[in-house]
Amino acid sequence: MNVPSAPGRRLTAGLFYTVLAAWAFAVWSAPIDSVQGVIQKILYVHPPLAFGAYLGFFCTALFGGLYLWKGDDRWDRWSLSSAEVGVLLCTLMLLTGPIWAKGTWGKWWSWDTRLTITLLQYLVYLAYLLLRGFTEGSERTARFGAVYAIAGVVLIPLNYFAIEMAAGRAIHPENLGDGSLGAGMGMPFLLGIVVVLSAFAYLVVRRYEVACLRDEAARREVEATGSEGAWAT
Amino acid sequence: MNLLRAVLWKDLVTEWRQRDRVVAMAVFALLVVVILYMAAPPGIGAESQQHVPGLLWVAFTFASILGLNRSFALELENDALAALSMASGDRGFIFLGKAIANFVLLFGVQAFTTGAFGMAFGIDFWPILHQFAAVAALGALGLSAVGTLFSAMAVRTSYREVMLPLLMLPLMVPVLLGAVRATEGLLLDGVIPGSALQLLVVTNAVFGIISYLGFEAVLDE
Repeated sequence: MNVPSAPGRRLTAGLFYTVLAAWAFAVWSAPIDSVQGVIQKILYVHPPLAFGAYLGFFCTALFGGLYLWKGDDRWDRWSLSSAEVGVLLCTLMLLTGPIWAKGTWGKWWSWDTRLTITLLQYLVYLAYLLLRGFTEGSERTARFGAVYAIAGVVLIPLNYFAIEMAAGRAIHPENLGDGSLGAGMGMPFLLGIVVVLSAFAYLVVRRYEVACLRDEAARREVEATGSEGAWAT
Repeated sequence: MNLLRAVLWKDLVTEWRQRDRVVAMAVFALLVVVILYMAAPPGIGAESQQHVPGLLWVAFTFASILGLNRSFALELENDALAALSMASGDRGFIFLGKAIANFVLLFGVQAFTTGAFGMAFGIDFWPILHQFAAVAALGALGLSAVGTLFSAMAVRTSYREVMLPLLMLPLMVPVLLGAVRATEGLLLDGVIPGSALQLLVVTNAVFGIISYLGFEAVLDE
């Protein structure tokens, strides 16, 4: 069985907790925005969560593609782990976004291109998890999941073009360019990205371990009873 | 190529002999039109017509889901799906055969639904019939391509009727937006906007390739 070695877990956990502490301090001591007030501090959480969510979605498709290519179960476990962590981060992003939006735009939601795409992508990955949950047989589940994850990622640019054409109202700010953040805001923002990325790595590694253990449990159950167990990755 | 022809012919002949799928889709589409009319009756003036293309495509999409769900459910009887996956030749041709059969059925249902919709909402489709048929066909192509791929997946899950729309709808957004904008352009100005047409063509090409390649991995060994 191939459970990731403890150093991999310790390294990601150590990195995560160290950066988390530094980030919490940096956010605490960051200046309060003169226009938006204290709510602007969501900046140090919300965009980093978005990076993490999209990283999760791309990893799901990438590992799914590797599974289809190589046929190795390990890639499928990585793919599922990335999807679950991606969905978690995306949920947090979709919760923090409206709080910020209500404070600055005056409304919870806007059908802006970026928001719409993210919501659709979130629905795609919820459907991905449901598909895996409702499919019987681990090998079939892995194949279906991989095909769906790839289709979901390939469609991001198409969705982008479609929604730009249909809506065309951009309210969400563009990517942060150099110097667009006020003095003292750059460091907590950067640390926020590192926190989310290290949390992503740590959680994916832990989820991968769970997947390995479940597969092992299923294998032992088959050995003990001679029938296929109910566990699936 | 023979495999494509055989699958297409089988699906169309089965449907011709039973006519259950296309009738169910058409009746369902009619019901959707009635419900939509009651939920959102069109007012007077050009502004009230703005939502009409969207409503029409909602009816098309719902009807397509009903039909696509049956596409592979039929193959479960007598384990025909297992036999199909054992057929020699490129599995992509099985996909194309099924997808073209689904397209033919959906296009037929679209024609019927458009007639009913035109009468209910007081819209004259005659002057734009050819262009609208092209838009409807492009939309139906996208729906059939992705729908056939996901129908083959959904049929193997424990909640297959629920699974297909969950899988399909989030990915159908570019097709639906393209088709709705194209229909809107036709109804309001008499021309199809270039960007909508471009989107439909590109999306269909991408969907076609993904579905054709993905189908290989979807059928069981």
